[in-house]
Amino acid sequence: MFDNHVSTGQKSIGYKLTRLVNQAVSVLTNTPAMLMLGLLIIFGRVASPVFFTYQNLLNIIWIVSVLGILSLGQTLLMITGNFDMSVAYIIGFAGIATVLAQRAGAGMITSVVVGLTSGALVGLINGLLIIKTKSNAFLITLGTSFLLYAVSLTITRSKTFYATVPEFTMLGGVKIFGVLHLSTVLFLLLAVTLEFVLRRTVFGRSLYIIGLNQKAGELSGISSSRIILLSYTLCGMLAALAGLVIVSRNGSTVSNSGVGMEFQSLIASVLGGTSLFGGKGGTLRTVVGVSVFGVLNNLLILLNVPFEAQEVAKGLVFIVVVWADGAFKKYE
Amino acid sequence: MNNKFRYFLTYNNAFALCAILFLFFGVTGGQNFLSGQNMLNILRQIALDVPPALGLTFVLIASGGVDLSVGSVLAMSAALTMGFQSHGILLSIAAALVFGVVVGVTNGLLVSKGKVVPFIATLGTGTVVHGILLTYTRQQPIAGHDVSFTFWGAGSIGAIPVPFIIAIVMTCVSHIVLIYTQFGRNAFAAGGNRESAFLAGIGVDNTQCIAFIVSGCFAAIAGVLIASRLNSATVHLGADTPLWSIAAAIMGGASMQGGKGSVIGTFIGVLSLGILLNGTNLLGVQTYLQIGIKALILIGVVVVDAISIVNIRKNLELQAYGNRKKYS
Repeated sequence: MFDNHVSTGQKSIGYKLTRLVNQAVSVLTNTPAMLMLGLLIIFGRVASPVFFTYQNLLNIIWIVSVLGILSLGQTLLMITGNFDMSVAYIIGFAGIATVLAQRAGAGMITSVVVGLTSGALVGLINGLLIIKTKSNAFLITLGTSFLLYAVSLTITRSKTFYATVPEFTMLGGVKIFGVLHLSTVLFLLLAVTLEFVLRRTVFGRSLYIIGLNQKAGELSGISSSRIILLSYTLCGMLAALAGLVIVSRNGSTVSNSGVGMEFQSLIASVLGGTSLFGGKGGTLRTVVGVSVFGVLNNLLILLNVPFEAQEVAKGLVFIVVVWADGAFKKYE
Repeated sequence: MNNKFRYFLTYNNAFALCAILFLFFGVTGGQNFLSGQNMLNILRQIALDVPPALGLTFVLIASGGVDLSVGSVLAMSAALTMGFQSHGILLSIAAALVFGVVVGVTNGLLVSKGKVVPFIATLGTGTVVHGILLTYTRQQPIAGHDVSFTFWGAGSIGAIPVPFIIAIVMTCVSHIVLIYTQFGRNAFAAGGNRESAFLAGIGVDNTQCIAFIVSGCFAAIAGVLIASRLNSATVHLGADTPLWSIAAAIMGGASMQGGKGSVIGTFIGVLSLGILLNGTNLLGVQTYLQIGIKALILIGVVVVDAISIVNIRKNLELQAYGNRKKYS
């Protein structure tokens, strides 16, 4: 984030060129995910005739858009040095809240607002617990996630509910300009907007400062607790949005429809180069991380790799990228 | 008085919780809960959860990180124990333990030499191990054919369940290792302050590596015991082992900051969770509600832990301030 150089006077073309190359190299070494994505795409191009088609690439980004929306919120939190394990069950819970609102007679807008609010509320509770008691984010959000699961199960009696507003279920299939799914557009738009927020607004800058050095941030006049609370709420809301996308796609809801996604969203953010310790990262990087996830999944399926071996491959790629991240840092 | 109470809560979270739960279920559950047979049942049930929680305590003390691969390692070593049984029981147990140690070494090297965050590194190795498990078992349960092997998981000596004896022995040995050996002291130092431990000449990397090996090995032991108890192995074993083991260790006084914790506390933590499960089952509490109660207890313990740490820090600061005033 601090690589915005201020140009002073005229520089020779050679200097500019070297700087450009240097910057390109530093981008590549800073985000091994970029390298990995490039390698995977080249490999896919060679290995499978179907992979590098327009339709397939669009499908990949469509499939990962749910995970993507979730990971954006997770990235915001990770920049402050926190994270949220309860997103998995927020997905299910927000879906249930929306569908129940619809069954109670709410229209589309109202039900969506109810869903998003429920997610934001859970995020708010998480944030309050963490900033008031200064306890470990991992364990607290794990606790709230189980609590949320219990609540969802109690509300639904572990039954499946179906969305009743037809426009809402249509949203999952709508394509903008006839090519891009609504959820894809939503994901990419959100990523760009949040990147802008991170780089150019006081709120975004404060996230980095809190992640780098909370004490210093507080001493320079940032209300860290308010900002952390806000980012937890945002993360909960984005998780709820991801849940709504799932419900609009399937037309139905299950309490544990997001299980495993809490780890996946962490992995996607870390793959993109967002640090678990805070102070480093960005939402566009997370788009790269999520894409690695999607491309890898897609390739493994296209190449007919058995399900069991897919797990091994995913784990290995993950370990290699994370290890490379650390190794590059040492090299620098 | 107030201060003493705070100190007691900080270091004896698990003891207090265990006593409260025991009294509560003793009163509400009555004879069903308090009968000798039920007590033995609880001991048998918790015995299988103790080893991974002990291993995680080592990891938490030495690095402040967690080992999320213990669940997969447990399931894989159970599968190996059953799969290799035709080659002899000793060989099958050895295969399981070696597998646990290999995963532990991998985790340890990734964390200490590769500088990967433990949480992330073990998530990765856990995924790989899970994939290997699915490949090895072809997603089928494996049944054992040697009934004498079930002695280790399902048998009893006198009235006391064998796995419980094993768990107690492991806890005592771990306690002695952590408190009275060089490795134990190094582990506390390395987790408490990595930098100063390094400057004091402690092999921080080696110590953390050994902690992860212990964790892998203990998870494998739990896998062997579970395989012996069920006389079969499935891919679903150990799915939520890491999470509840971490919870038990934190209840017992370990901290995600590292350098703090006790295996006896962890043992009591596992015992409290076991009493909770058994008691709510006896009272006929719904599964949904059980999950909720467990979650509330987890949140409560973590919050109490955090608040008491903040209070102690404040007290220490006040003391330091007082001393400064006295001597200046």
